[in-house]
Amino acid sequence: METFDLVVIGAGPGGYPAAICAAQLGASVAIVEKEQLGGTCLNWGCIPTKALIAAADTFAKITHAQAFGITVTGASLDYAALIAQKNKIVSQLKSGVKQLLTANGVKLYTGVASFKDRHTIALSDGSAIGARKVIIATGSTSAMPGFLPKHERVVDSRGFLDIPKLPGSMLVLGGGFIGCELACMAAQLGVKVTIVELLEDILLLLDPDVRREVRGNMEKGLGIRILTGKALQNIQAGDKDVTGKCGEETLQADLLLSAVGRKPVTDGLHLENAGLQTGERGFIETDDCCRTKVAGIFAIGDVTGKVQLAHYATAQGLAAAENAVNQKPRPHDTLVPNVIFTAPEVGTVGLSEDDAKKSNRAVKTGKFRFAGLGKALASGETLGFVKWIADAATGQLLGAAAVGPHATELIAEATTAIRAELTVQELGRTIHAHPTFNEAWMETAHAVHGEAIHAAPKRKG
Amino acid sequence: MATPIIMPKFGQMTEESAIVEWRKQEGDKVAKGDILFTVETDKSVMDVESFEEGTLLKILVPPHVNVPVQSTVGFLGKPGEAIPSVSPPAPAAPKAAMPAPTTPPVLLAGQRAPPASVVSAPVAAPVTPSSQPAAPPALFRISPRAAALARQCVIDPAPVKGTGPLGRVVERDVRQYLQSRGYDKLRVTPAAKELAAKEGVDLLGLVAAGEGRISLAEVQRAIAEKPKAMSKMRQIIAQRLTQSFRDIPHFYVTVPVDMSDLIAYRNVLKAAGAPYTVTDFISQAVVLCLLEFPTVNSSTDGRTIRWHSQVNLGLAVSIEGGLVVPVIPDAGRLTLTEISATSKQLADKARAGKLTPDEMSGGTFTISNMGMLNIQNFSAIINPGEGAILAVASTLPQPVVREDKILIRQIMQITLSLDHRLIDGALGAQFINAIRSKLEDIELWKRLTS
Repeated sequence: METFDLVVIGAGPGGYPAAICAAQLGASVAIVEKEQLGGTCLNWGCIPTKALIAAADTFAKITHAQAFGITVTGASLDYAALIAQKNKIVSQLKSGVKQLLTANGVKLYTGVASFKDRHTIALSDGSAIGARKVIIATGSTSAMPGFLPKHERVVDSRGFLDIPKLPGSMLVLGGGFIGCELACMAAQLGVKVTIVELLEDILLLLDPDVRREVRGNMEKGLGIRILTGKALQNIQAGDKDVTGKCGEETLQADLLLSAVGRKPVTDGLHLENAGLQTGERGFIETDDCCRTKVAGIFAIGDVTGKVQLAHYATAQGLAAAENAVNQKPRPHDTLVPNVIFTAPEVGTVGLSEDDAKKSNRAVKTGKFRFAGLGKALASGETLGFVKWIADAATGQLLGAAAVGPHATELIAEATTAIRAELTVQELGRTIHAHPTFNEAWMETAHAVHGEAIHAAPKRKG
Repeated sequence: MATPIIMPKFGQMTEESAIVEWRKQEGDKVAKGDILFTVETDKSVMDVESFEEGTLLKILVPPHVNVPVQSTVGFLGKPGEAIPSVSPPAPAAPKAAMPAPTTPPVLLAGQRAPPASVVSAPVAAPVTPSSQPAAPPALFRISPRAAALARQCVIDPAPVKGTGPLGRVVERDVRQYLQSRGYDKLRVTPAAKELAAKEGVDLLGLVAAGEGRISLAEVQRAIAEKPKAMSKMRQIIAQRLTQSFRDIPHFYVTVPVDMSDLIAYRNVLKAAGAPYTVTDFISQAVVLCLLEFPTVNSSTDGRTIRWHSQVNLGLAVSIEGGLVVPVIPDAGRLTLTEISATSKQLADKARAGKLTPDEMSGGTFTISNMGMLNIQNFSAIINPGEGAILAVASTLPQPVVREDKILIRQIMQITLSLDHRLIDGALGAQFINAIRSKLEDIELWKRLTS
């Protein structure tokens, strides 16, 4: 039995960087993957959906370019070609991951890993490898509620990516970010979309003003029907369509996309053989240094149930790898930008305005709409705003939200600023290139003190 | 004419009090019975209600300033009414330096009358240092430019040595100091600097962690670790217990008490509806013993001995933020039932924060019962003005040897702390064994409860 300094279980965006990092620190490392290198992110999540969303966005731009004097007739979409392109991107990235792992001397194993004991990992082919330390990075999978019929017309986000052609109409169960992203994408490509969300609004983690901006465009701009505070019941899938009762109304569509959340993957790991138990909700509990309750076993990413985002898993993975190899524990960062690829896009980081106010401190906020920005007007992308949430006493930047054009890119500046503990004054004095969308942050920083140059002053008193 | 609001006198021995919080602000309407402010006396915290209605016109005494009782702390009246020009009462001077005219304030059990010798005992310092007029501000000590530079750099200029006229700190001194302390090598995040400036944290006192720069985390830690004024209650506890532990030569005697029979008997009584707690039996046993051994019911200042003619039994009660010792006066004249009822009443009042200072005064002996806290044994510190204190630990099943057999019995350890100036070892041993034999004498309890 070959024994490694570190065995990483799962080669997603948390696991493979952890393996490479540990190898670079001089450890002998093995990684076990049961399906595809790159995990959900690369194969069925972030990357493939962004390929589709980029296509939808381009399509929408082409067909809505009249303001620039561009009229395109006969624009059409070959969905099969798009899927082929998506698959090409995915396999290119996947082979990139494989090369990186191999080049760093990480040994790859394919199969399902399970604990025999704290230091022995059994593989599904019957062999076993020894592990001085283990990082569990098994991720999560779509939670499919039991009441959904098992039918080809009922898919989760992963299944959705494999459909050969777009449906004419689609029901989306769940108004979280996965449901909303795919709903926007499909609607931009001409699918008639209805979202049903049990809670009182979609994207509930966002501040109300941000939510309102997104929902407004989804409903009015993209024609998506959004039903909130309602359950979808009595769901039936047949040869012709899928139907469900929503209150009094019967909804009918060609396809139902279930996007009600994700659950951790721990089945088959036999954690109990390592003396490890999952928490109440099935997640593996860890501390800031990614340590589980069992010495030498670390966990990162979605399976820890903290923030279910690829980049957070990567940050955890690198910290876990260092902590597994080095003696001195290093906590991972906890300031996580959150990006949503809806139309309009959303980026948030740090405290939301709601949370900041609840945190029992005086806060000041500033907001600046893209409609007041030269670059946004020139680009014909004026929807949305950026917002700073700052500590009233010290001016410390506590949080930021961007909704609108390039919001998912714009949030990077805010993340760096908050991480560096900048104050709103300094951000405001930082020279921002003109004309760019980034200027919105500077204007907003001025707006915190009511000193925005390019917005009408607020009436006082 | 506006009506003055008077700082009430809460107990016979309360001489000064500090307002903890004004519950009404200037300009607020006040109805009869509304709480105007909360007061921290040297023994407790209490609400002060308004006897009249009107508008709070003026607050003369801000929170946390000790003022003599009966002084005017504010004015009530109709809006716009003239307020007599009264200067705020001078804060009570710290008494450490001068002999107090009467007894020192007591939080734990105190004396009925002041023993002559403890008069000059220092009382707790006022709650905040700022409430005392400090030495006149040394206007000349630092130049405005130097002070501005220190402020701008978020450092404390106090350690800077002055080289200006008459040793005044001038800008060049601050610069020199900054250089010698390596200020230019300090890396501070902007938000951390703002917060440090706001909270008066000296950046030079911080050590950068992690990424080599001082971040919010370090400033927040410094703020959290800044010494904060103790509550008045804790100040009193600290002052009195320090005084006791420093001045009284303590010694300790411990015995195990077999409580098996008494607990069984008490359970029988309880089943029959009698309200006695185990503490009540201990109190009764202690009272009986104090009547037998009057020396233990006395106190000394080291030169004189006071023999207390009655047993005033203090019972330590743990409350939020500290402890108080309500006193059962003249417990020697009470029956077990009366002791039980009084104890319960006082403990309830203590937990509700409703004890009056007089109910916490005059103790001659104290029982501290930690039986419910699952401990083997402990020793207590004698309350000033008393000669001994009994510490009661938990009753736990223990192996006991009787007639060469090992039995399991319910054993409670009790430890007596004694003032060796008054009481010698032999007497201490006799006294604690007397308590023990009373508690183990089931016939006695049958007599007392029948």
